[in-house]
Amino acid sequence: MKKVYILPTGDEIKAGIVLDIDSVEIMRQILCLYPEAQVTRLSPLVDEQDAIVDSINSVTAYKPDVIVLIGGSGGGHRHSETLGKDFTHTALDAFLDEKAIREIYGKNGHLWCRIVCGKKGETLVFNVPGPYEEAKAACAAFFAGLW
Amino acid sequence: MDSQYVIAYADKSILKISGLKVRGLNTRALEQLLFKKLNTFVRVIGVTGEQIEMDAYNVSPETVRKNADGFIDAIALAEGVTVTELVSLSCSEAIREVDFNKIPSLPNEGCAKERWMQKS
Repeated sequence: MKKVYILPTGDEIKAGIVLDIDSVEIMRQILCLYPEAQVTRLSPLVDEQDAIVDSINSVTAYKPDVIVLIGGSGGGHRHSETLGKDFTHTALDAFLDEKAIREIYGKNGHLWCRIVCGKKGETLVFNVPGPYEEAKAACAAFFAGLW
Repeated sequence: MDSQYVIAYADKSILKISGLKVRGLNTRALEQLLFKKLNTFVRVIGVTGEQIEMDAYNVSPETVRKNADGFIDAIALAEGVTVTELVSLSCSEAIREVDFNKIPSLPNEGCAKERWMQKS
């Protein structure tokens, strides 16, 4: 593991309304496992599918080993007009060549979380949910799977 | 493509607190504060500069409403939150179960709720 990019998403993160504590935790996990890795956290992305796809696409040009996207993994605006727009998982649908998907639904039929993991060329790409504990757990599960 | 899903049979209500000024919110710290207050899990699911929306698991809306002032006091302690005189708390009813057998299977054509609503 030599090169990793972390891409936080969310208008509230970009505006500084919410602190990006997930990136810090993900970077901590990566450096614990791969002390020599070069980890880059990009500026937060707006909740727009095209913007997210464009950003992943541009980062892929640097041939990283892993790209981690944070947030935008639920149903979001599809269920509540007061919630943010969740486009990270659909952006990965559009971007990845081969992928595996795991979805969690509530008993009310709402999509609570959709994790997409796949490859683009030699780069592994996956997303984690925005809430800290879930982001931490999802990232730990991903790296445990690599070992 | 490998795709699987699970259904979480958890009860939750949605809490909305408006009339706030939010800047630099540490969501984890807020969730921990409310965990101590409610003795159950809370997850921040949506934040604007004036409002915080949260999922509260395994707690009845009545309990939340009865303790509204206590919750607002707890939220006021969170890093990045300032309570204004317009602060108010609302809580939805607990979520209702839908029959997943009636949800059409259309992968990548919207989430299950959308498909269920389209069929209804």
